[in-house]
Amino acid sequence: MPIVHELQEAKRAQESDSWATVSLAEVGATVCVLDTQMASGTYPCSETAGAFLLRTVKELDAVKFALGAFVFNALRRRYHNSVLGFAWSLLNPLLTMSVMALMFSLIFHRNPQQFAVYLFAGMLPWTFILESVMSGSTALTSFESFLKKIYLPKAFFPLVVVCIAAANFGFSLVSLGLLGLAVGMPVSSSLLLVPVATIILFIFNCGLALLFAIATLYLRDLTHIASVTLGALFYTMPVVYPIEQIPAQYSWIYLSDPFYHFLLLFKTIIYESRQPSLRQWAIASSIAGITMVASLALLKWKEKDIIYRL
Amino acid sequence: MSASIQVSSAWLKFRCYNNPSPSLKEFVLGGLKRNKHAHGAEEFFALKNINLSVKAGDRLGIIGLNGAGKSSLLKMIIGIYPPTNGTVAVEGKVTSLIEMGTGFDLELSGRENIHLNGTLLGQSYRQMRRLEKEVIEFSELEEKIDLPVKYYSTGMFGRLAFSIAAVIKPQILIADEIFATGDAYFIEKSFNRMRQMFQDSQIIILVSHSLTQVVELCNKVIVVDRGEIVNAGNPQEMVDFYANSIVPVAGRRGAAEHGAGSLA
Repeated sequence: MPIVHELQEAKRAQESDSWATVSLAEVGATVCVLDTQMASGTYPCSETAGAFLLRTVKELDAVKFALGAFVFNALRRRYHNSVLGFAWSLLNPLLTMSVMALMFSLIFHRNPQQFAVYLFAGMLPWTFILESVMSGSTALTSFESFLKKIYLPKAFFPLVVVCIAAANFGFSLVSLGLLGLAVGMPVSSSLLLVPVATIILFIFNCGLALLFAIATLYLRDLTHIASVTLGALFYTMPVVYPIEQIPAQYSWIYLSDPFYHFLLLFKTIIYESRQPSLRQWAIASSIAGITMVASLALLKWKEKDIIYRL
Repeated sequence: MSASIQVSSAWLKFRCYNNPSPSLKEFVLGGLKRNKHAHGAEEFFALKNINLSVKAGDRLGIIGLNGAGKSSLLKMIIGIYPPTNGTVAVEGKVTSLIEMGTGFDLELSGRENIHLNGTLLGQSYRQMRRLEKEVIEFSELEEKIDLPVKYYSTGMFGRLAFSIAAVIKPQILIADEIFATGDAYFIEKSFNRMRQMFQDSQIIILVSHSLTQVVELCNKVIVVDRGEIVNAGNPQEMVDFYANSIVPVAGRRGAAEHGAGSLA
């Protein structure tokens, strides 16, 4: 304790208009009474949820151009030096999924053209989700060098990776559109709902990416666990096989899967060419909303610890 | 808006996790074994009771030994490390040059990196397009600007990085050892540019080991030692104080103690 008094006196001795306070007059003296002064690990500046949200939005707004630059560069780099260049972003999903469509339509004895659209409508949103989770889980760790040298809002890199995934999703949608035209899919007005479904999925993915980005800092294996788990979950959902393959009494398996409700939106709009029911919208939106709120709550809780975990 | 920085009784505690993010195996086994070591974190104070007030027009120099907490102090002001206790209030737009070339993407060309780096420093893409020519001119990298920066030499890298910051004209510029790279000619040139920037920016905080630079560029200097501001005042006096009272003592201190604060 005497050192504290000394310290306070030293402070008081400073002139009131001084711009920098010398904390200890004598060089070499040590302070060893820290524990009595503060409770460890508590931050004095606690924020309300609203203030936190406002600050996060403001901070992200300040770096929105950097966000664009990151996404653009990542996309450009992917096909850098390749002969076909950007065309690959359209060709790649098209070719990959055409092969899948051919294989699975043979296995399940379906019309390959129709089955291709069925498969695409489920695969595209799934790939979007998967990419968001996988790159989201490493979004903070792999950009450590940035986070330690410039101040960036912690949600920035998770947002970057989801935007990259969203761009890929957009390209795939265009491929799907071309494929649909080629196989003579009817163009219905329900397709106008694709952007709405995409926005809901985007919010869901942002939440997921942020959740996984933070959680991975506390458990490094999460990337691998997520990869295996999501891979397994994928086969519980009727995406690569027709929905009739699952007996009705087991439909709860995929219906209890939160991811499936997003795939269902796209399937209804694209494959069945009709408007999703209000219930479908409501379920998907609430899952997206809850995920987003949960991720923001986690961010608010751990924001100040993140930098030390990198 | 007038820029200002207010740091009042700020403490910064570093937690050095022995293992910042444990794997599942370590997590489970550590829990079973009650292995304190694997889960534990060593804590130490990188900054102790920092009180600092910087107003528009101030050019603050920070000097101190390696590991004294200079960079930690800068990072706390920027917001990278939130203070454990106390407050840090910053008014105005901050541009930080903690390490040259932060945010450079090695695969991208110099020109693309100008855009990327500038936007990271809070500029709009359009603004960077406008400033691009000025950056290239200042860095004198005209012929190499469309090469990927991975082919750049360290000096070229540093020149490009400095040039980007030099054209941005931030309200508050926070710079850590920015003259470390570059040849004598470029250092001279950037030094002159810094002087000009000092007129454009409201606040500049400069960490440098070059005491002559500090004396020439700053109007206030603080001496940081082992996480504390040990002295503050006019540049020449502080540089003398540092050279006479801190540097000689450093040699006598134990090597182990000396390294403790060098995390940041």
